[in-house]
Amino acid sequence: MNATAPTTLIQIWFCLIGLMLVLYVVTDGFDLGIGILSLVTAEEKDRSMMMQTIGHVWDANETWLVVLGGALFGAFPIAYAMLLSQLYVPVMVMIGGLILRGASIEFRHPAHRRRWWDIGFGVGSVIAALSQGVILGRVITGLAPGAVSGAFTALTALGVGSGYALLGATYLIQKTSGHLEHTARKYAMASALTTVAAAILVSAGTMVLSPVAHSSWAQPRVFHILVLLGAVSALAFGWVLHATQRGGVQSPFRASVLLFVASFGGLALSLFPDLIPGKLSLVQAASSPSTLVFMLIGIGVLVPVMMGYNFYQYFVFRGKMEPQQH
Amino acid sequence: MSVDSIVNLSRAQFAMTALFHILWPILTISLSAFLFLVEAMWVRTRDVMYYRHARFWAKLLVLNFAVGVVSGIPMEFQFGTNWEGFSRYTGEFFGNILGFEGAMAFMLEAGFIGVMLYGWGRVPRGVHLFATAMVALGSSISAFWIMVANSWMQTPAGVTLTGGKLIVTDYVAAIFNPDMVWGVGHMWVAALETGAFVIAGISAFYLYRRRNPEFFLRSFKLALAALLVIAPLQIWLGDSSGGDVFRSQPAKGAAIEGFWHTNQPGEGAAWALLAWPNQAEQKNDWALELPNMLSVLGTHSLTGRVTGLADIPRANQPPMLPLLFYAFRAMAGIGFWFMLLAFWSAFVWRKTRGRLEAMLSHRALLLAWVFSIPLPYVAVEAGWIIREVGRQPWAVYGLLRTADSASNVPVTTISASIVMFLLFYLVLISTFFIFARKWLKQGPDLAATPPVFTALRPAQP
Repeated sequence: MNATAPTTLIQIWFCLIGLMLVLYVVTDGFDLGIGILSLVTAEEKDRSMMMQTIGHVWDANETWLVVLGGALFGAFPIAYAMLLSQLYVPVMVMIGGLILRGASIEFRHPAHRRRWWDIGFGVGSVIAALSQGVILGRVITGLAPGAVSGAFTALTALGVGSGYALLGATYLIQKTSGHLEHTARKYAMASALTTVAAAILVSAGTMVLSPVAHSSWAQPRVFHILVLLGAVSALAFGWVLHATQRGGVQSPFRASVLLFVASFGGLALSLFPDLIPGKLSLVQAASSPSTLVFMLIGIGVLVPVMMGYNFYQYFVFRGKMEPQQH
Repeated sequence: MSVDSIVNLSRAQFAMTALFHILWPILTISLSAFLFLVEAMWVRTRDVMYYRHARFWAKLLVLNFAVGVVSGIPMEFQFGTNWEGFSRYTGEFFGNILGFEGAMAFMLEAGFIGVMLYGWGRVPRGVHLFATAMVALGSSISAFWIMVANSWMQTPAGVTLTGGKLIVTDYVAAIFNPDMVWGVGHMWVAALETGAFVIAGISAFYLYRRRNPEFFLRSFKLALAALLVIAPLQIWLGDSSGGDVFRSQPAKGAAIEGFWHTNQPGEGAAWALLAWPNQAEQKNDWALELPNMLSVLGTHSLTGRVTGLADIPRANQPPMLPLLFYAFRAMAGIGFWFMLLAFWSAFVWRKTRGRLEAMLSHRALLLAWVFSIPLPYVAVEAGWIIREVGRQPWAVYGLLRTADSASNVPVTTISASIVMFLLFYLVLISTFFIFARKWLKQGPDLAATPPVFTALRPAQP
């Protein structure tokens, strides 16, 4: 009865969870990025427009996090229990940030005095993004205590924050026009540079700090794929800069997504087959085969359906937006 | 001592976040179903009044949905942050079901609400109606899976203990556990009843003020018609789930009724209409009793056997007996009042043949509806308290004690998160009321005309 689930089944779930995480990070990443950028945007009219571009999708984007939480809970209960209880403070701070962001964006709309809601939207987004970066850093360092892993965690927090800002800025290029689009291009250039700088430092830090990553990088097969992903990231970075400067409308966002996915793939590959490096492996954390199969029928099959109607929602609101009158 | 305070604080936090969160989805479920109804009637009859209803009530849905979404986020993660032991022990089934809820329901709701709220004129009418249907369906499926998970905590089935955790051996038995049908049914109908009372109550408010009476007579009538079925149905469901409680969780049944000593064969169990249960002395300080009545209520026979609380080991008795006792009376009392109010109104309606002027002259009736708006919320909170506090000291009834479920998080840290949630909730609920009041003052837009969808139109608003 105490059967361990077959490796392929566990790997399928690892990939599915990874896919949900990518979907969350990319989609809510640009929402949170727009929130971060709204703090440095002076004009109320512009902030209004920025929020309008995500008004109809932020909720579905955030829902990927909820789907991810439920799927992780069912497929890898031990990981869910260990991660969330050990990371109580950053998780609670993230929840606080998400509540503040969500409430601000929804309540700003009917409000007369919008300043406070604008601040709530920006501050909530910053808090949520930074705490997600902290969670990432704590996971990579295998929840290790100490000043070095603390510094590394600060670095991942900044990396996630600027990565989100990049996604947000390039999404804005897609959805806005005129003066705001021009500003968004400047934001995109600046955040692309900080994102790549942080990504390089985080990769170096992972190599040094994480024995799991260190040993997995030493395997020739893994190493070759990592080199390939590194090259893709470099190309994506060049593409972001080029497309942003040359006036591309959709290409800067696509290039940023590619940059994100390539970096994420490298990270996932470095830590595989652990869920919490050095603490918990996939096999230890996984549910029994029957649960994994049952969940694959109930959730796995729905992932493409969910992606489909989410895409439809984007399709309905496609193209650049015009300011709404109130 | 310290372990006790960790468990108590985590319980306090969970109780607070759950009691706050539950307020919003119950209205989302029923209001989105109502919006689907009026929109479908508009599409069918082309009567623009229905369209205006759809637009007017959707504004309340937006406000309600916003608080529901943000207050729901902690619910998905608290099992891990605060209840690590519970998550490890039950994750294979409980986590699986929460995953189903997210993928089958929550995303469906979120994926279509954008089109529903902002998509007027951007999509054809049929597609918009479909989006509204998906939001309504998503919110109801969500309630279904959440109640499957919760009812399994009440009457766990289909699992066996292996290596310190529960492994599912029979999914059908686990999902269709003994409490599931009553748990899902009672909660879902409570959600419908809440929305019907909110819609009828707000409509009665406008009728009382004689503001747009023709418009609001229509929504009042729809809600009233629904309640003539819902209110009695809910009493039947409540009675049936009560019977289920006496069979599957005798300690909870005895606790909510302040019943201490198992009745002898051939004798009926007396029912305390009012009492003050005293757990320390294992008796009621005082009681107003009706003979045989508890046997009738709990087992539907005059001398049915009801287990008394004193015959259950103290360590397995639920805490906070007066709270359970009076929460049950509040809930049941409200349920009966709802049926009475619905029948009274139907009687008036029949007598006046629903003529507007005649209905408007029944001032007391309209006021009764207005003042009943908070009552479904009180009943739902009371019901949830009975369900959850009554299950204590178990997290999973008979299998896992709450005391063995909590994460080892410092007391100060949990206190800090409790304070954070409390502050957020105060801001959220007061903001909600400020905007709801604005919406109420503004009233419906009786000049609104449906936007026309043309495929060639550019995609700007």
